Amino acid sequence: MRQAGTFSGILSGGISGRTGPHSLPLARIKKIMKRSGEDVKMISGEAPIVFSKACELFIEDLTMRSWSVTLKGKRRRTLHKDDVVEAITATDIFDFLVDMVVADSTASWSEEGGGANEGMIMKT
Amino acid sequence: MAEVPASPGGGSHESGEQSPRGSSSSNVREQDRYLPIANISRIMKKALPANGKIAKDAKETVQECVSEFISFITSEASEKCQREKRKTINGDDLLWAMATLGFEDYVEPLRIYLNKFREMEGDSKGPAKAGDGSAKKDGVQTASENQIGYQGSFTQGMGYTQAQTQGQHVMLPMHGTE
Repeated sequence: MRQAGTFSGILSGGISGRTGPHSLPLARIKKIMKRSGEDVKMISGEAPIVFSKACELFIEDLTMRSWSVTLKGKRRRTLHKDDVVEAITATDIFDFLVDMVVADSTASWSEEGGGANEGMIMKT
Repeated sequence: MAEVPASPGGGSHESGEQSPRGSSSSNVREQDRYLPIANISRIMKKALPANGKIAKDAKETVQECVSEFISFITSEASEKCQREKRKTINGDDLLWAMATLGFEDYVEPLRIYLNKFREMEGDSKGPAKAGDGSAKKDGVQTASENQIGYQGSFTQGMGYTQAQTQGQHVMLPMHGTE
């Protein structure tokens, strides 16, 4: 039905020159969409295309917020997971991610014995 | 990571899929759950200054977050479709869901993106398929459809943006309930 070639032209500058017209694989996006609920049965062809761009915006958004955490606190040049976690907890629209990343992080922190950031994470 | 193993195939709609998804998270193939980390990493790098580096654990975290984002938006869009007794989730449903859930900043660039795609689709269908007369007709039709879609969803989006900018971010248990 839809051919990748038909609109690769308009996107050539926009996303990535390497993976074709979209920066993210549409079939994979569709799979993840279907995993989100039992009632998700039919997905229009447009939907994964919207998501390919939306995910890109989301990743950029999250990365930039995380990077400003990286720069602010520790004078590092490397973005680490705890920067991402802090950016998530500091940003309202990322609230839906808090459970997931905090559960992950508290597990690894207790292994390291470091609870320094915990107070910060728990505030909501 | 204590997930209750669901019965294989239970609740799965991916007929023809081999992996019984939902049966213990560690067994589900990673490629079914996440977008490729190379793509994610590339997009992340674009958002950083040239000398910025990204640790592996940060990439993996973002990778998980992206899947969660897709599910979060899809669930909201899916509920809307159910309320309206529609079976197919379309692009506008997703834009609506994003506006509702606080991602209104994404809506405008996405709408432009979507409209470009629709235009291209219309262009490529029109002249390729039909002769002069119907090609013209096709073109007109597509254009007006696009406009209606654009205006309709634009006002819709604005409405929700205004109505729901505050206090709409309490939907945490989404993934816990599945």
